[in-house]
Amino acid sequence: MTLATAARASRIRHYRTHSPWRRVGRGVALLLASLLFVVYLLAPIAWLVSSSFQSEHEIIAKPPHWIPQAPTLQNFAAIFAAKDKTVTYETRKSADPSSGGFIPSTASNLLPAMLNSFIVASAVVVLNLLVGVPAAYAMAKIHFRGRQASIYGILATRVIPDIALVVPFFLFIRNLGLLDSIWSLIITYLAITVPFSVFVLVGYFESLPDELDKAARVDGCSRLQTLLRVYLPLARPSLVAVILFTFLASWNEFLLALMFTQTPASQTLPIIVASFTSDFTVSFSFINAAGVLAIIPPVLLALFFERYIVAGLTAGAVKG
Amino acid sequence: MARIAFKSVTKRYAGDVIAVKDLDLEIRDKEFVVLLGPSGCGKSTTLNMIAGLEDVSEGELWFDRQIVNALPPHKRDVAMVFQSYALYPHKTVYENIAFGLRMRRVDRAEIDRRVRDAAAKLEIAQLLQRRPSQLSGGQRQRVALGRAMVRQPAVFLMDEPLSNLDAALRISMRAEIKHLHTAMQTTFVYVTHDQAEALTLADRIVVMKDGVVQQVGTPDDVYERPRNMFVAAFLGNPAINFLEGTIESRTGVPLFRRGALAIALPSKFATRLSQRADTEVVLGLRPEDVCAANGAVPSLAGTVDSVLPVGSDRFLGLKVEGSDVFVRVEKEARHQEGAAIRLGLVAERLHLFDKATGLSLAEDGTL
Amino acid sequence: MTSSARIAAQPRLRGGLTYDERAAFLFVAPLAVVLLAVAVFPILYSFYVSLFSLKLTRPGRMPFVGLGNYVAVLSDPQFWHAVERTVYFSVMAVAAICVLALLVALLLDEDFPGRRVLGAILLVPWAIPYVANALMWKWIYDSNYGALNGLLYQLDFINSYMVWLGDADKTLPLIANAFVWKEVPLAAILLLVGLKTIPSDLHAAAKVDGANALRRFVHITLPALKPAFTLVAVYETMMAIRHFDLFFILTEGGPGDASGVVAWRIYVETFRNLSFGTGAAMAYLLALATLALAYVIIRGLARRI
Repeated sequence: MTLATAARASRIRHYRTHSPWRRVGRGVALLLASLLFVVYLLAPIAWLVSSSFQSEHEIIAKPPHWIPQAPTLQNFAAIFAAKDKTVTYETRKSADPSSGGFIPSTASNLLPAMLNSFIVASAVVVLNLLVGVPAAYAMAKIHFRGRQASIYGILATRVIPDIALVVPFFLFIRNLGLLDSIWSLIITYLAITVPFSVFVLVGYFESLPDELDKAARVDGCSRLQTLLRVYLPLARPSLVAVILFTFLASWNEFLLALMFTQTPASQTLPIIVASFTSDFTVSFSFINAAGVLAIIPPVLLALFFERYIVAGLTAGAVKG
Repeated sequence: MARIAFKSVTKRYAGDVIAVKDLDLEIRDKEFVVLLGPSGCGKSTTLNMIAGLEDVSEGELWFDRQIVNALPPHKRDVAMVFQSYALYPHKTVYENIAFGLRMRRVDRAEIDRRVRDAAAKLEIAQLLQRRPSQLSGGQRQRVALGRAMVRQPAVFLMDEPLSNLDAALRISMRAEIKHLHTAMQTTFVYVTHDQAEALTLADRIVVMKDGVVQQVGTPDDVYERPRNMFVAAFLGNPAINFLEGTIESRTGVPLFRRGALAIALPSKFATRLSQRADTEVVLGLRPEDVCAANGAVPSLAGTVDSVLPVGSDRFLGLKVEGSDVFVRVEKEARHQEGAAIRLGLVAERLHLFDKATGLSLAEDGTL
Repeated sequence: MTSSARIAAQPRLRGGLTYDERAAFLFVAPLAVVLLAVAVFPILYSFYVSLFSLKLTRPGRMPFVGLGNYVAVLSDPQFWHAVERTVYFSVMAVAAICVLALLVALLLDEDFPGRRVLGAILLVPWAIPYVANALMWKWIYDSNYGALNGLLYQLDFINSYMVWLGDADKTLPLIANAFVWKEVPLAAILLLVGLKTIPSDLHAAAKVDGANALRRFVHITLPALKPAFTLVAVYETMMAIRHFDLFFILTEGGPGDASGVVAWRIYVETFRNLSFGTGAAMAYLLALATLALAYVIIRGLARRI
């Protein structure tokens, strides 16, 4: 390049459709929006967690200490220790010296309740899959009379609010003598989880190519073998989504558990935690610690399987 | 033995949609039969009924001496190649090919032998450990073929297997499929809408339209002696030319007349024509059935409307008595647009159809 | 052999079903049994119970009253107050959910580093149990030590700590806030799925046509989101009018009756007044209302634009 052309080149203006200010502006807006988003979603939980690490003494400060100045694990220790001690009126006050507050008489039930929740949720998941997967395959891939109607019918069962189901369930379960067992929960939770599971599974199966079904059947698979060997491996995202939804729905369910469980033998986590809140003498920090324990398993599960949630919902929602 | 017979088979879908109507067809052992027709004509449905993927609504489907209406697909000894290949995405090529054999509990060593054998023949041996998503269209197609081949079935079904391939690959694959048929000595039933494919591959062609069989015959039969206008138009590329006109029979020889055009018709139409009162007919002329004009043969006069050189051939679009006619001429010939032209016709190769029914008026028309 | 005779004899499996129909039946049977037992039967039985005057306080007598329970409920002014509160709560909640979920979905639709992290964070409120949600907000709203009071006090918006849940005027909006907070993630995901199905060509064409971001939003994004919005509106309305957990834990219908929505009254009627018949009738009315609302929303949104 000669000197002259180089000089001319440096004077050439560079045009762009977007000025750099626009990009910066977009970045700032996104950052702001993201911050608002995070604060809105996490702040309440952050406060819950923070409170759970504060002693009763600290927790009643006005204004509150947003970050614990003297963080303590005593609240959690009290929960785990509670099951070793019988809690009577006399021992309540002494059981939790560091926080200075009372722990509820039902404290020792917290961990067993978690176990109950876990057993119930797992059983419901397994039953959902056993009942839902073959049915979803049949509804998606086999053309039989009444197919369309079944799908709508299944969804329609969820229109009735759970409260309407409580009375018949109650009488039904009482007559079976299952009133205080976790089986009452397992059975009733099926009613509220199966329709949605089937809906998601049918949607996903429908999105899998029909020709695979034909190829497998010509290759020598019976319908059952086609399901097990060809479609099941391919349906993994929706299976994970169903497991996740069903587990969470069972773990979090409150109303039916309230109705059908009366003793710690069958009570699930939400019931025990709720019982703390209605007892006005209980220390706040203890309640918050219990709350934190209650949210850890579902949150971990959700975060772990995050990417399956959208994938599992997409096949169903877009068509539905 | 793998004879397939349809006896008055009808396939009906919900809502009274009739996909296949009253089908009577016998497919002989080791025959290569092509089901040919436009989309929606029922050819794929027929194939699916052979496979057992669709139920027969009415009628009987026989394999050799057994009625198989109620037999589910996994109990029939058929193998199928699909238009979209339908390979199992979560299995390797090896497992895809071996799957059918595993379901039929063939022993491991035998499976291995057959799979590698087929892979070698199809030149995909180096792909055995790959997944379908890593293969090209042509490679997937070979895997699909391999999957069907290793089964050594009684009947080989193929549903437009070449439609998704590019043109050059399609032609070479046609030859391969033909070799496969010869090597395997099995009944082949092949579905396509491509008439060239049908003509190349078939021992017999079944031409279908709207669920009804139009004609069954060898490629030669359906091409040279089409039973109706639909078959005549469907076979042949470029398509046959149709000229509407009337029959005059002065002096005992039937004459086709359209305006100034008068063509003496060959004797093969005489019988049918003499039985008819109606004089409305349609003349069929294939583009290749023209020659240089000389006094001895009937001729066609018109004006050149367009000149269409296609590399290997030269076509002319003509205007004859108000109708468009496409003909193939000598590559070296030079013609001007708008010029008048006169071409000779090979009389024996003319076709004649009844205008109302579309049926051929030739007395040697095959069914 | 006459072909017509042979054709008439259709070879079928025993029982007249094809192989496919038999397989389908076997596959669907467990589901049908489960649903009939735990879903259909209770629904029908519940309706049956609502036709009787069944009170556990005098379990011996159970006279048939036909629609008498329904009449009793519908002519009870307390019931209509509850309906009023339910409507107020639901409209507030669903409107807030729609707006917030849309904002969140729009944010997550953009491409920027850290979007995956935000998507994961979004799931947290959705995952936690309703009970935990309730106690969390109860603690925040606490009159003596709550974070809401503390925050407003620190920022000098108020001079002294206020009563929140105990204030009849404030309780429904506060409960709605807790409900909305937990429901926004799911609604946002549904809207996000809807956003993702909008082909980018539409936006590109609009940009070339000269539309700025706001006009593109109004004329392309919003109409394309209609099905997703309908789904969100229907689902969240259904959830809002039958929600129970928060009302139980936060306020027990109080103070007084200020947060006594229909769901709460059904609980009280059934399990505190022990009048199963009227409780069931109320539940059925709620179910009917749910169906009607779903229908109205779907039709309403379908007709707009």
